[in-house]
Amino acid sequence: MAAPRPGTEADAVLGVVPRTVLVPETVEEAVAAVGALARDRMRVAFVGGGTDLELGAPPEGLDAVLRTERLTRVVEHAPSDQIVAVEAGLPLAELQRQLAAHGQRLAIDPPHPERATAGGIVAANAFGPLRARYGSARDLIIGVSLVRADGVLARGGGKVVKNVAGFDLPRLLVGSLGTLGLVATVTFRLHPLPEAAATLLFPGLDADQAWGLTREMRSRQLEPAAAAALSAVGRLDLGVRFEGFGPGVAQQGDRLLDLGRKAGLAAERLDEAGARAFWERHDRLRAAGPLRAKLAAPPASLPAVVRDATDPLLRALPGGGFAWYPTLGLGFATGSPASAGAVRAAAEQARAALHGLGGSLVLAAAPREVRAVLDVWGPPPPSIGLMRSLKARLDPERRLAPGRFVGGI
Amino acid sequence: MGTPPEANLGELARRIAAVVGPRHCVSDPAELLTYEADGLSHGRVRPALVVLPGSESEVAEVVKLVRASGRPIVPRGSGTGLSGGARPVPGCVVMSLTRMKRILQVDLENGWARVEPGVINLDVSRAVSGDGWYYAPDPSSQPVCSIGGNIAENSGGAHCLKYGFTVNHVYASRMVTAEGEVVEIGGPSLDVPGYDLLAALVGSEGMVGVVTEVTLRLLRKPEATRTFLAVFPSTDEGGNAVSGIIAAGILPAAIEMMDALAIKAAKAATGLDWPETCVLLMDADGPVAEVEHVSRRAIEIARAAGATEVKVPRDEAERQLMWKGRKSAFAAVGRISPNYMVEDGVIPRSEIAKVLREIESMARAVGLRVANVFHAGDGNLHPLVLYDARNPGEEERAAKLGGDILKMCVRHGGSITGEHGVGAEKAEHMADMFGPDDLETMKQVRFAFDGDAAFNPGKVFPATRLCGERPGPYEPHPVEKAGKAERW
Repeated sequence: MAAPRPGTEADAVLGVVPRTVLVPETVEEAVAAVGALARDRMRVAFVGGGTDLELGAPPEGLDAVLRTERLTRVVEHAPSDQIVAVEAGLPLAELQRQLAAHGQRLAIDPPHPERATAGGIVAANAFGPLRARYGSARDLIIGVSLVRADGVLARGGGKVVKNVAGFDLPRLLVGSLGTLGLVATVTFRLHPLPEAAATLLFPGLDADQAWGLTREMRSRQLEPAAAAALSAVGRLDLGVRFEGFGPGVAQQGDRLLDLGRKAGLAAERLDEAGARAFWERHDRLRAAGPLRAKLAAPPASLPAVVRDATDPLLRALPGGGFAWYPTLGLGFATGSPASAGAVRAAAEQARAALHGLGGSLVLAAAPREVRAVLDVWGPPPPSIGLMRSLKARLDPERRLAPGRFVGGI
Repeated sequence: MGTPPEANLGELARRIAAVVGPRHCVSDPAELLTYEADGLSHGRVRPALVVLPGSESEVAEVVKLVRASGRPIVPRGSGTGLSGGARPVPGCVVMSLTRMKRILQVDLENGWARVEPGVINLDVSRAVSGDGWYYAPDPSSQPVCSIGGNIAENSGGAHCLKYGFTVNHVYASRMVTAEGEVVEIGGPSLDVPGYDLLAALVGSEGMVGVVTEVTLRLLRKPEATRTFLAVFPSTDEGGNAVSGIIAAGILPAAIEMMDALAIKAAKAATGLDWPETCVLLMDADGPVAEVEHVSRRAIEIARAAGATEVKVPRDEAERQLMWKGRKSAFAAVGRISPNYMVEDGVIPRSEIAKVLREIESMARAVGLRVANVFHAGDGNLHPLVLYDARNPGEEERAAKLGGDILKMCVRHGGSITGEHGVGAEKAEHMADMFGPDDLETMKQVRFAFDGDAAFNPGKVFPATRLCGERPGPYEPHPVEKAGKAERW
């Protein structure tokens, strides 16, 4: 491993500059590095591609940052078993290029695939439109090795898809933001690249129409791979993608157009360039900033979400946008705050509305002045006591990004 | 943990009876017999008491009382588990959730149902099937197993290759902690902020809390299902067909295989006329044009891999008959052998043909036979080790062969259990698959919920076996004998 170097502003995690930066080149080096930090009682944060680095509250302090950027090996790819084991720092796009040579992919598509890493996707529970069909990292992860706070390397899960031996460490790490341990290697289940794909666009819907069409699609047993409603100024443009074999994709597209016609909605079957443009627009909206709020609510409550959460938020984010996954009940409102005070008022209103619906609002990214007046996580869930207990068992000295996670964990 | 003196038992029973009612606090030795074992009938242990609470608040009260007494608590659902996950430990109180069987709320707009833990798996699907919905995880014990037990074991089924396990179908759960507190984890929306405690709960084999309510994800039924059965000269060709189908980018809803001995048993039980070689049964489901295409393509691949015969059912009745042949295999083996043990191991699917040959030669070396029925798509084997307990030493040899097969699964990069769980039965085998640091980390997760290991001690984690304990024969569950359910 290269010698540790002093931390700079560029290494800051949520504004906290570490004293040193470690860049291990192997998992063994990472184990040794975390072990050495443990002996010195040093506080550390783990950084991958940095695409979700703004998620969470600023750590109470950091002695070190450990970057996974050199941990980029594919440990094992078994195409016929449709599994891949990779080191944490491997960027998603690089992984997808290697898998595509075998007609396969990891069915997770968060923004910034060139930077987002396997370990970071797990730690941040990053996802994209394909979650509609394939689920999130928690549905595709089958094994993990983690370096615990005390520098011990532990494994959970395995490399077969079906396996119920022991406690489910892989899923437990999904979304844990490096506060339970360093994700060192991850094993994922893979899927075949689809033979055909088609995107249909229903522009200019109101929230009732967007949910109505989503509901009707389900009721008619259509099975989209992805669905996203994008908006800038009140109206939602709903894009639906079908994937699979040619005949199935063609038939499902026809039937969705038919449903749209019956509902009196304008629709178009996008050509390849049009489809690319729609999903790129999605990616831009999803990744925009500097404020990015993640909204969750039961899917049928979309009209209430738009009225009571998104509209107020977007009024406080002039020129901002909204991307919503209507089959999942998840979405993101993004943009530049008019003022910290306006965003705070809007976010509190939105949060209260979403809580009332059984959902949540988390600031996945926010400027410092907004963080100063608004808790990024919101009120902790009722199970916070068990979460603290879990943290105390795996990181008893609170050295892994202390204070970054929910409820000050 | 030492067992408290029996003198205190009467007082504990009186206090519990005051909470749940005398009828639901069982201490009569004859009645306790039922609870000495679960679906794994050997290694019986009599519990001190059995409590059948009727509500969440009763569960919480009873947990507090039992915890104060220092006795361990063993939660139990329908008792169909095949790994001894609900096997009592000496001096324990078994908490049976079978009385809590209400479906509390169904929300098809958002696609979920809120149920109590004692609700039977199939009853969830039955409650919503009229509207065209279902609950996807389908362990073959689904006519009798409970949702609470499914949560504990992370139950799968034939269709989990495409649809996943219980853990992929739970939005939220309420449970009573080791302190007797009621906690809600998860929620009606995705991505509740914080750690994914549902991942710790589902598959925890009753060791983190007593589940009192579960919000299950429901699915709209697929538009169409296409089934075919293909016959191969041997499992070599069958295994190659499975690999070919998967390599073609097809994700079957289920793809099942039986070897010659398993077919022989199934024929004896059902009167089917399948050749005694190797049979593959595949379901594809989804939008109609998609599944017709997929089904045609899979049949082409099966033929190219050497299928001597392909049968497509003419109607649903014939389809059900084909599945019956597959589902009956466990119990049917009793027709061709006086005793047998059911194993549950996983291997990478591409190794199927090789591993089956290895199992055959291992069996031959010790003078035994093994019938194989398995979920071929995900490499989940169910070797059935045949033996005759009347022959001295044969049961021991069978048990050793079963254990050796699991070790071989691990050597091939697989797992010691794909769906039956570790329970009491396979706790020692955890050390074949995981190192001390791995197991210690898992224990820390358990202790985060239950620092005294009061819930279901002696399961999952390896410990020195007690004298006289050993794996034992498979015995059909009473409902299975009565023809009400099958297992595989």
